[in-house]
Amino acid sequence: MNKIFSVVAILLFIFPSVSIGQSQKVTVAVAANMQYAFKDLKNAFEKINNIQVDEVVGASGNLTRQITQGAPFDVFISADTKYPENLFQNHFAAEAPKVYTRGVLVLWTTKPGLIPGANLQFLLSGKIKSIAIANPKIAPYGTAAQAVLQKFNLLDKIKSKLVYGESISQTSQFIASQNADVGFTAKAIVLSNEMKNKGTWIELNHDDYPPILQAAVLLKYGIENNSSAAGKFYEFLFSAVAKDIYKKYGYLN
Amino acid sequence: MIHFSLQKKLHASEGILTLDVSCEIREGDFISLYGPSGAGKTSLLRMLAGLMQPDSGFIKMNDEIWFDSEKKIKVNPQQRLVGFVFQDYALFPNMNVEENISYASSKNDSKKNIDELLEITGLSGLRDKKIQTLSGGQQQRVALARAIARKPKLLLLDEPLSAIDNEMRGQLQNTLLTIHAQYKVTSIIVSHNINEIIKLTSKTIHIKNGRLVEYQFPAKIFCNKSEDPSSLKCVFLSSGKTGNDYHISVLAGNQVITINCNEEEAKDLRNGNEIEVSFKGAKVFLRKL
Amino acid sequence: MIETAPIWLTLKLAFLTTIILLFLSIPLAWWLSRTKSIFKTIAQVMVSLPLVLPPTVIGFYLLLAFSPANSFGKFLEQYFDIRLAFSFGGLLIGSVIYSLPFMVHPVLSGLSSLPPSLEEASYSLGKTKRQTLFKVLLPNIKPPLLTGIVLAFAHTIGEFGVVLMIGGNIPGRTNLASIAVYDEVEALNYYNANIYAVILVAISVIILFLLYFSNRKLQEVKIL
Repeated sequence: MNKIFSVVAILLFIFPSVSIGQSQKVTVAVAANMQYAFKDLKNAFEKINNIQVDEVVGASGNLTRQITQGAPFDVFISADTKYPENLFQNHFAAEAPKVYTRGVLVLWTTKPGLIPGANLQFLLSGKIKSIAIANPKIAPYGTAAQAVLQKFNLLDKIKSKLVYGESISQTSQFIASQNADVGFTAKAIVLSNEMKNKGTWIELNHDDYPPILQAAVLLKYGIENNSSAAGKFYEFLFSAVAKDIYKKYGYLN
Repeated sequence: MIHFSLQKKLHASEGILTLDVSCEIREGDFISLYGPSGAGKTSLLRMLAGLMQPDSGFIKMNDEIWFDSEKKIKVNPQQRLVGFVFQDYALFPNMNVEENISYASSKNDSKKNIDELLEITGLSGLRDKKIQTLSGGQQQRVALARAIARKPKLLLLDEPLSAIDNEMRGQLQNTLLTIHAQYKVTSIIVSHNINEIIKLTSKTIHIKNGRLVEYQFPAKIFCNKSEDPSSLKCVFLSSGKTGNDYHISVLAGNQVITINCNEEEAKDLRNGNEIEVSFKGAKVFLRKL
Repeated sequence: MIETAPIWLTLKLAFLTTIILLFLSIPLAWWLSRTKSIFKTIAQVMVSLPLVLPPTVIGFYLLLAFSPANSFGKFLEQYFDIRLAFSFGGLLIGSVIYSLPFMVHPVLSGLSSLPPSLEEASYSLGKTKRQTLFKVLLPNIKPPLLTGIVLAFAHTIGEFGVVLMIGGNIPGRTNLASIAVYDEVEALNYYNANIYAVILVAISVIILFLLYFSNRKLQEVKIL
């Protein structure tokens, strides 16, 4: 009797996913700039469906690499189209990526007394010593920021002041801690609960930079191991409820 | 003259030992410090050198006060001009013989001094050698030469010859005597070897449990205290028989002597027993070597 | 192809960090080996802390400290017009803290293993503590000194977490090779990442070879 009991206990311990009557789960890889909006997405989805949502937040490039190395993610919500495309080309995605929203770039500072001017000329001032942008090599918001600076003919002049964050999160952190005087970040971040009342920001003209198309992709792992829950969540990203949430966080639809 | 009175609580394995020794040593004397292990001899030497701080007391070297606990005077070892020969020699491995010896000298000191020291200690041919390549006896001589290079006021030797074999020991003792005669430096040597003490030193500080037992001529301390003057305290080694003659071998000092004797008396003796051999009425022959 | 600037920058940081650490660690190790003060344990803990702390924690606290929003950062900016975040100087400070135990521990170990009679002999021969340190003690702990130098150097080459937090990845100033590898991987340029990685491995292997080879030669000078 004892032997049987221990064997069953061990099996239950080793195979927790053999759940009896438990709700399903979906694991989502989320690009850094989406993490605040994602909280609302998660709550809304969980309310509608009896499915638990687990998120893994990171830089898009980082997450992509993990996926190609077999990370157990069902859906990938990226901040651009390049990484989801890459996954699709390399057969890690079930179907071609779909754009779920458009990102909006803002110029933000938390330094007391500093007000960003819309013509951006204040960036040339000697008082501005460091300007944070996300690394254009790996983050779409960084590419957008560079484009804006180029459009205003400022890029070459302020290049020596540029400080590169590894992700939009780190870029925002540089700005929030005042280590950077000012910087370019996602509107979603300055609208988030954490950063709402910190500093001042201005929204940049959408025409001044190439559109930041953010795509999501249903991953092969999700289809093979968790198709029902994964599929449901993926569809949810394009629903009216989701679109409202994107709008709330300053994204464009 | 060096006059000192030193007190210090020492932490030994058996508990706390209170060291309390006062003494006056005439300038130029060669003194020995004798006593059982753990009696405080090395500590005393280190306090005189300034390497250990006494709890209370004073040290007066001629007109200089090196230490006075009441007047709060404390002269550091660098300024005391003391030569110290350590038990482990403490030679500097990164230097050769000449560099070790000239380490203490300033630029003003002539090379002649160094040459003289090398000469006296028999190290002239080894001046360029790294000290790791030297034998124990050679290293000891380097330590000695180095200690007296600065013509110190006081030379302290902490069991310098205890690790040396007997033959070399004799030679080094002679070197010590030569140096003492030449430089006339007040010297204190810690030693367990009675022969050595008698050979080298004129007076002995006898310490036991941290206290001064006596400050006396070595001959008087170590002489035969039995009532019978013509007897020998020695250690029984073995016995044997050659024909009808029964004899025993004994260790007296560091010599082994074979003595004819009565079998009856020797039959209960075992190797290592301490015995007294008396000569009564026997003829004694002497010969100078 | 790859830019070589990150490699030179990394070597420069490692070199300067090692030199600074030598000047800092020798007196510190000397004090630790001889003192009986109550601060000894506190100091030992502080020195060993970077060994145990994740580098990102070190970087995080440094970033906080450097921020002009906080007292230290504000002080530096107001009186010296210095901003340590995103600067090579800031990285240098971070590296020195990060690699401190790698220099102090071997040197301390070496100094502690020398027989005390060695320095006592030097004192009895009239030399001051400082003279003794430089003429007797340090020359006799060459292997541990070399170990410390090489470890600090190599450890700084591999520094990532601290640099990630406070560097800002500025070309020519703070974009170290370790970050460059990370970025190339992030951008899915595995080929470039590999080139950086191979160069770093080669440098590390050469350094280690030098260490072990020199140590063998130095072992011939043994302490009695």
